Formats: sequence, structure tokens, C-alpha cells
Amino acid sequence: MMITLTYYLLVSAGLFSIGLYIILSKKNAIQILIGIELMLNAAILNLIAFGKFDQLKNSGQTFALFTIVLAAASTAVALAIVLNVYRRYRTIDPGKVNQLKD
Amino acid sequence: MTYTLLHNASTINYALAAVVLPLIASIINLLLPGKSGKVSGFISAGAILVSVVLAAFVFANVWNNPLIHVQQLWFTIGATPVYAGMLLNNLSVFMLLLVTVIALPVHIYSTAYIKPAEQNRYFTYLSFFCFSMLALVVIDSLVLLYAFWELVGFSSYLLIGFWFTKDSAVQANKKAFIMNRIGDIGLLSAIIILFAQFHTFDLVQLFGDNGLVYRSDVQNGMWVSPAGQMSEVWQYVAFIGIFLAVAAKSAQFPLHTWLPDAMEGPTSVSALIHAATMVAAGVFLLGRVYPMFNVYELNTLAIIGCFTAFLAATIALTQNDLKRILAYSTISQLGYMIMAMGINAYASSLFHLATHAFFKCLLFLCAGVIIHEVQHIKDEHRLDIDPQNILYMGGLRKKMPLTFIATVVGCLALVGLPLTSGYLSKDSILIQAFEWSDGKSAWYKIVPVSILLTSCLTAFYVARLIFKVFFGEFKLKEILPNIHLHISDGSWAFRIPLIFLSLCCLFPLFSLHPLLYEHAWLHKGFVPTDYMARESIYHTIIPAAINIASIFVAYWAFAVYIQQRKLVFSQTNFLFRLSYHHWYIDMFYQQIVVKAVLLLSNGFFWFDRTIVDGFLHLLQRIISALSGIAAWTDRYIVDGTLLVITQLVKLIGDFFRGFQSGRVQYYLFSMLAIVLAVFIIKLLI
Repeated sequence: MMITLTYYLLVSAGLFSIGLYIILSKKNAIQILIGIELMLNAAILNLIAFGKFDQLKNSGQTFALFTIVLAAASTAVALAIVLNVYRRYRTIDPGKVNQLKD
Repeated sequence: MTYTLLHNASTINYALAAVVLPLIASIINLLLPGKSGKVSGFISAGAILVSVVLAAFVFANVWNNPLIHVQQLWFTIGATPVYAGMLLNNLSVFMLLLVTVIALPVHIYSTAYIKPAEQNRYFTYLSFFCFSMLALVVIDSLVLLYAFWELVGFSSYLLIGFWFTKDSAVQANKKAFIMNRIGDIGLLSAIIILFAQFHTFDLVQLFGDNGLVYRSDVQNGMWVSPAGQMSEVWQYVAFIGIFLAVAAKSAQFPLHTWLPDAMEGPTSVSALIHAATMVAAGVFLLGRVYPMFNVYELNTLAIIGCFTAFLAATIALTQNDLKRILAYSTISQLGYMIMAMGINAYASSLFHLATHAFFKCLLFLCAGVIIHEVQHIKDEHRLDIDPQNILYMGGLRKKMPLTFIATVVGCLALVGLPLTSGYLSKDSILIQAFEWSDGKSAWYKIVPVSILLTSCLTAFYVARLIFKVFFGEFKLKEILPNIHLHISDGSWAFRIPLIFLSLCCLFPLFSLHPLLYEHAWLHKGFVPTDYMARESIYHTIIPAAINIASIFVAYWAFAVYIQQRKLVFSQTNFLFRLSYHHWYIDMFYQQIVVKAVLLLSNGFFWFDRTIVDGFLHLLQRIISALSGIAAWTDRYIVDGTLLVITQLVKLIGDFFRGFQSGRVQYYLFSMLAIVLAVFIIKLLI
């Protein structure tokens, strides 16, 4: 049985949906970060799956690597923000950090 | 010619200085602190002393010389220039000298008579009064005449009400002022008519030799002058105006009642008002505008003057207040002057003005000394008496010999006995009154006869005054037998004015011949040069008759009051009451005029309160109602609309604000929802 692109995309879509669900539903910033990571990984999975069609330059893999690095960087920044938010508000529930609304 | 001009200029300057010096003294006194006391007196007396010297110099230069008239443009209304200037002729320099010479002893006397604490205010007023009067006599224009006429009235108001804490003094000065206002209205209307007729205010152009008044005439019911013409009636209206002014200032019937009340002022002020300033202003005005009167108007003046003289003399018979007796005698003598004007005895009138000024000033100053001393007794023994009431006096001649002699001299002059100045002037009026009535119908004889009768009455009340005050025993001794009188003639400031004025009341000042008034230099100064004294039988009979009658009447008074013979009439009959109550004129004014005025004022008050105020209130209510409507509209319509709009905006804003929850996940969820919605819609379409 041949693993076709569709399966990849389905897994990727599932991952993305799970990530999205985590982002929307969790009340903990760390968990939301995890959700974001999941969504990023879904995207990376897509990139790698599409990379099959560019065997010569392997641009899919390259972008995947970039994205992983970027994800790591952004996660670090996000964690730093979360840390600061915690210091300031004594909570990391994004629903309670709503001072920007006014 | 150049010499004359320079000469005139210096004369004018001296006259101006004589007039202005009292004003300067008044201003200095005004600026001095209130407690400066005697200093004020010396400033004012010094100013008036210099004025006397200057006035004497001016008098010597102008008297019987051509008149001096200087003027300069004051202002221009339309095409009419109005000039202000000085007019020095015989009349003005005579008045100038008379006023200053009378004012000087009054000033000296006042330094002792007025308490030092009050002197500053007193001399401020007194100097201002002198200034007003002096300015009144030298100015040359009717406008300025009116201005100073008012100032004389105003300053007399201040002086009569000098003791303003006394209610009677306040009433008296109010009365004097209001009565003078009536006269002022008359003068103003007369000035306006004269200006309308002659188009000038200049006294020389109007009343000078060959002036506009001489060249105007009444023809066919029209009053024609070189400058214009108007109905004859206006000439009489102008006369009535002038007469009212004269009657108010010179206290003639029917406006004489202020003068006895004016006795509320200090006695020294009474002396000045009654002698040479205030009351003389009326006679002076008559002298200034004399040419404008026709024969009917002159007759009116004669009758009114004669009646006033008689009226006042009868009232003086029964008064008990020392100053009131003198006040009524002043009114009586003023009546003589006005009558003399009316019978064409112009010179005699002014002559009598001068002699009267001296003896009346003397009498008032004597009265002041007497009152001062009786007040002293009153204070010393704590008596409840009126220090001016002659019924409490008596026998004062031994205690106050100088005052006694001075009073007798003054009274003899007032009665007009020989060797006094009063003899000359009074007899000249009487003789001319008889000459005037000659050749006219018998009715005209009433004037000289009644004036003769008035002279006899004068002799009686004067004798009564002297006997009551100076002869007999001191009346209070009957009540308080152990009373001790520490009274005297007072200090030098009392004595010197009395001696000076007593000497001025004797004949040598006016005429070298003690019996013939035609020889008086003052009289000669006012009659035309071609005047020939008509030697009629009157010149012998009248003086003799009047003197014999006077002496007889005085003796009668002596018999009545000193020897206590019962020749006296009862004190309850009608004539006595008529005289005692001043002919009920005051009462009449009080009952009829004052009440009518009050009624009218109340009517106007009611009108003002009900109609005018009512209309205003109505207007106010309408406006109030209108603004109420406007306010309601503003509040509920305009503001309401705005409120609705703002509420709407707020609602919308709040609605959109709801989206801005600040919760990141909510944003994400909405984004997802919208993306899904768009996707679904895309699928459906």
C-alpha cells in the first residue's frame, strides 16, 4: 500500500485542528503554546509532504528546517512573554489578561 | 489811552482777586484737617481783609467813573457766542465794597462766636458764601448770574443748616432751599425769555445805556426789540420770573417765610445773610435789570414791597424770639427797598440797602452777644429756657454796656431817627413815596401812608425789644432770686465789630449833612446827573412827622413795658393772634401747599407704584413666561434631540465595544468563525 499525499494532508489537517482546538479552549498559556506548536508541526508536515515533488532542490525540507528553527525561536520569545505576564499578573490565563481591551 | 487801559486792567485784576480770595480761603479750609480750629478763622478773616482793601481800591477807581467791562469768549452754541466777563460800574463796586466790609466784622466776630472745633467747617462755608455773593455782583452775563445766584442759595443752605444735628435747623435749611428754588425757576425762565428776545446774555448790551432793553418797546400787543419780537405777554412772564427770584432771595411776600426760619443758623450767619449777602442779592438783581420794567410792573413791585413791609412789621410786634424780631424787621426793611424800586426811587433803594446792611448786621451781632451770654447763664445754672426768648431777659444794660449802646445805635438807625444813617435812607424813601403818589389817583396814597404806618410799627417793636432786653430787672431773678450773673460784653472779637459797625451806622459815613439825604454821596452816585431834587413840602413834613410819631410810639412802648401801665391790648384778640402766628401764612402753606404737594406726590407715588410698576411687572411676567417656554424648548426639544443622538452613539459604541473583550482566544475564535462562515457561504454560492 502506497502512502499517498492525502494521508499526509489528513494527518496534518488533524494535527492542525487539534492545535486549533487547544488554542481556543485551554486556559493556560503554556498549553496554548503547545497548540501553536502542533499547528506549526502540521504546517511542517505539509511542507515535507509537498517536498516530495521537489527532489532536486529539496526546498520542502529546507523550509521545514527554517520553520522548525523559527518555531523554536518564537516559542522561546513566547515563553519569555508568558514568564513576564506571570510576573505581572500572577496568572497565565489569557482570558484574564485583558487589559489591552480599553 | 494806554494809561487808561493799564489802569483798567489793574482795576479788573484787583476786583478779580477780591472775589477769588474768599474762594481760595474756602478751599484751603476744606483741605485743612478738621481739627485745625482757630487757624481756619484767621485764614478766612485774612482773605476777607485783603478783599476789603482791594474792593476799596476798585471802588475808588470806578465810582462815578465810566464803567469797566471786560469779557472773553466762553463758548459758542451754534452761531451764538456766549461771553464771560466782569462788569464794574457804580452798582457792582458799591455792592463789592459793601459785601466785603460787612463780611469782615462778621468774620472777626465768628472767630470768637463759633466753637473752635466747628470753625473749620464753618469758615469753609462762610468763605464760599462770600465768594458766591462777590462773584454775583461783578459778573456781566445772565448765565453766570444765574450760576452764582444758585451758589448763593446753596451756600446759605449749608450755613443755615450748620448745626445739622438739630432737627429744626435741617427743616429750616430745607425750607430756605426749596423756597429759593421757586425763585430760581423764575429767574431761569426770565433769562430764557430775555435770551429768546434779545439773543444775548450780556448785561451791558441788554441793560446798559442805549442797550437793547431801552430800544425795545411794546407796540400793538407785540414786544419789539432790535433783535426780534414776541407777544407782549412774555414781557410780563419775564417780569413775574424776575419777581419770583427777587421775592425768594429777598424774602418778599409770598415767599418770605423761609427767612425767619433761617434763624436756626448761627447768629453770625444770620448777620451776614440779613445784612449784605443773601437778601441783598434780590435787590441787587432788581437794580441790574431795572430798565426792563414798565410802569405796571413797577407798581406791582411797589405794592408787594409795601405790603411785605407792613406784614412783617405787624408780625414783629408780638414775637418773643430775639432773632425772629430782627428777622421780621429785615423782611420789613427789604419791603422798603423793593417798594423804593417800584416807585422809581432807585438810588434810595440802594442807599437803604447799604445803611440797612450796617445796622442790621450790627443788631444781629448784638443779638448774638446777648444770646451767647444768656446761653452761658443757662448752662451755668442748668436752666430749661430758650436763650433767645426776650421774656427771660431784662436789665442787661448794666452788665453789657457796650452791647447796649451798640443795640441802641442800631435800633435808632432802624427806626430812622436823626443823626443815624437810617434816617437819611428811610426818609428819602418815604419822601419819594409821597412825591410818587402825588398827581395820581387817591388809591396810590395807600402806599406811602401804609409805609408811614409801618415806620411807626417799627418804632414800637424796636422799643419793645430794647425795653424787654435791656431795661427793667432780669426776669429770671423773679424765679431764682439768688442767681448770679457772670456776663459781660465778651472778648475783643465781639467788641471790635460792634464798635466798628456802630460807627458805620451814624450819618458821617454817608453824608456830611445829617438831615438831607440828597447830600449823601451814595445817593448821588445812583441818580442821573441831571437829577434835580424837587423841593416839595414833604421834605420838611415827613421827617418831622415820622420822628415825632416814632418817639411817641417808643414812649408808649416804654409806658407799656417798663412802667407797666395797662395801655396794652389783650393778648387774646384776633389781631394779636394774627400777628403772633405770622398771619397764619406758614400754617396756610403747611395746610394747603405742603398738603397739596404731598397729596400730589402720593398720587404720583401711587401712579408710579401701580401703573408704571404694574406695567413693568406685567412686561416682566410676559418675558418670564416667554423665557420659560424657551427654556422648556431648549431643555426638552433641543437637548432631547442631542441626548437621543448621544444615547444612540453610545449604544452603538457599546455594542462594538463588546467585541473588544481583550481576550485573545475570543478573537481567534471569531476569526475562525468568520473564516468558516465565509467558507461555508463560498460553498453554498
